[in-house]
Amino acid sequence: MLILNIILHEWKKSIRGQGFYKSLVVNILLAIFAVSLAIVLLFIGYSLGGMLERLDNPLTPLQLMNGAMLYLMFLDLTIRFFMQQLNSFNLVPYQTLPIKRSALINLILLKPLINPLNYFTFFIIIPFAIQSVMHYYSFAVALQFVICLVLGTWFNSLLTAFLKRKYGADVLSFLFLFLLIALILWLEFKKHFSLFSLSLAVFKFIIFNPFGLLIPVSAVILAFYLNKWFFTQNYYPEQFKESHIGDKMFQSKLVFLNNFGAVGALISVYVKLIFRHKRTRSILYMSVFFLSYGLVIYTNDLFYTNDGLLYLVSVFITGMLTFMFGQWIICWDGSHFDNIMTQNISIRTYLNANYILLIIFDLICFLLTTPYLFLGIRLFYLHIAALIFNMGVNVYLLLLLSTLKNKSIELSKATTMNYQGTTYKSFLVVFSILLLPLFLMIFISRFTSVEVAIWILTFFGLSGIFMRKQLISICVQQFYKRKYLMARGFREGE
Amino acid sequence: MLQIKNLQKSYNGVQVIDINQLTIPKGECFGLVGNNGAGKTTLFRLILDLIYANKSEVLINKEKVSRNDGWKKITGSFLDESHLIDFLTPEEYFSFIGKLHYKSKENITDFLELMKDFFNGDILETNKLLRDFSKGNQKKIGIAAALLGDPHLLILDEPFTGLDPSSQIRLKRFLVELQLRLNTTILISSHYLNHVTEVCQRIVVLEKGIIVKDLQTNDDTLMELKEYFEVLT
Repeated sequence: MLILNIILHEWKKSIRGQGFYKSLVVNILLAIFAVSLAIVLLFIGYSLGGMLERLDNPLTPLQLMNGAMLYLMFLDLTIRFFMQQLNSFNLVPYQTLPIKRSALINLILLKPLINPLNYFTFFIIIPFAIQSVMHYYSFAVALQFVICLVLGTWFNSLLTAFLKRKYGADVLSFLFLFLLIALILWLEFKKHFSLFSLSLAVFKFIIFNPFGLLIPVSAVILAFYLNKWFFTQNYYPEQFKESHIGDKMFQSKLVFLNNFGAVGALISVYVKLIFRHKRTRSILYMSVFFLSYGLVIYTNDLFYTNDGLLYLVSVFITGMLTFMFGQWIICWDGSHFDNIMTQNISIRTYLNANYILLIIFDLICFLLTTPYLFLGIRLFYLHIAALIFNMGVNVYLLLLLSTLKNKSIELSKATTMNYQGTTYKSFLVVFSILLLPLFLMIFISRFTSVEVAIWILTFFGLSGIFMRKQLISICVQQFYKRKYLMARGFREGE
Repeated sequence: MLQIKNLQKSYNGVQVIDINQLTIPKGECFGLVGNNGAGKTTLFRLILDLIYANKSEVLINKEKVSRNDGWKKITGSFLDESHLIDFLTPEEYFSFIGKLHYKSKENITDFLELMKDFFNGDILETNKLLRDFSKGNQKKIGIAAALLGDPHLLILDEPFTGLDPSSQIRLKRFLVELQLRLNTTILISSHYLNHVTEVCQRIVVLEKGIIVKDLQTNDDTLMELKEYFEVLT
């Protein structure tokens, strides 16, 4: 009864929350994305059995699957470690009410299990179970197989929650898991130790033995009590608080910013903003990780022989950080917008600081991606052209479009799959930034050639860089027009 | 110092501020009282150009505030602790605000030395972020930051609320001193009638956005205000 009440509260909180209806468009887009993903997964599940049959191997598809199972679970664990959010259910209002603590903890632990994201893999598993497992064995085996995987999902979810709470989800622990998998794979290939045959044996027992399911059941129970144990060890919420003492060193290196007056002062605040919030930190790391996408794309013949495509990819890669954070400028000041607006900062200085921040991001990405010149000096020239376009066109666009948003962003919460603060306007920003060079490219190259198109876009960029004063003035005018609306939106968001 | 002419603001057709004429001369300490919803904070936000006025003429130092940045140099303000940049430490926050006013490191250190009493040892060198401080301490930080730029005009919204008794007394002393020493024009709003009458030379009562009383403070003012608010209930 109690649990039902609390779930009801949570539900009310989500539909009465600010901007639930405002972000309806976002929700619809996400739903479309989910449906299309489900269809793709169903298709994969449908054809998986056939693909495994065709392998030159005496094992049945189920046996192959069983052998790979421990690997898959490890992989799942790694992905979860990165993606799965800790349940940030707000305990405080309930703590003083006469509710048993253990009931609340059970709720915190079990609620993530009803998250539909957990069960997306079953779009693959169920068709596979019907097609391949039932075909070779029996309905009972197929059922046992599916149940085993449901339990496996629960086990992984609970274990991830425990590991994340206990060890924290920084990049180092992610790297550690990654290396562990690499090590096991290496052992497998060197034939020192085969996780494959171990997995095969274990899952053969689980799925074919009538009592086999006792193993995953006890694993789930074990993981559940591990979590419980953690909560008895860490009774008070304050024990989870992250400290910021670690970035002391880093700040001392920022002293040079002091020489740039108000702009420098603002930028050093932004640097702290990025490093002291989980969400921005993880975006930063992910962007740097995405830079390596170039390795995949640039080495692909389809791209490498097409200058137009290559240029567009360069625009994207040299602008990675700018695009990622450019969507958030100004509205990440949401919670202290009134404060900034009454400080001794002119609007021009404020926008200038944001402009320079974005330029710095562009330059960082450009420098980080210079190693791609080893793939061909042509790429290096394209990167320079793309950098100029980003600095002279995209930066101003981001600055202009950022004034459209009037919903502040909650930065301290969670990492991936967090759509808080995302409105249809965010999609607008991303699309216009990504599509503008594409359309220009298609349009101009239609009448001339790709090479001329790149030169013209670069020329746009250069003129943008030289007309900084005038263009910033336009942004200032736009900012004044939107100032009150933004301030009001940010205040409401609190 | 501050001139308001014909200031009107309405939300969905409901008038929340309607002030025909209000002039605050330089060096005056001006108190604003009124029940919840009287429009005190709205008035301050209008003065600081944070909300759009339907009709307005707000001048600070004879300069219009809207679409203008000049007044920011001489105006220090603190409205709400939730608007602090909460991921900074107090030291970082002061140095940020200080830099905006072209203060050197030494200037800021001297200033913080002056504030030591007011801070009561709870704030500096604690290695905590602003978001981890209590509301009262956040308020102290905000008020101190508003003073950091040597403002000619100081605007504080409910500065006494949430402060402990000692800090309230210290703040009162502080404001009186500030006015004597630098001839600062001070605007404060408060629910504490006795504090306002002690600090302010002039008190204006706001009700539903309209000025209903404009008093020069004397020995009877506190009684008069108490009577006025008793009748209202």
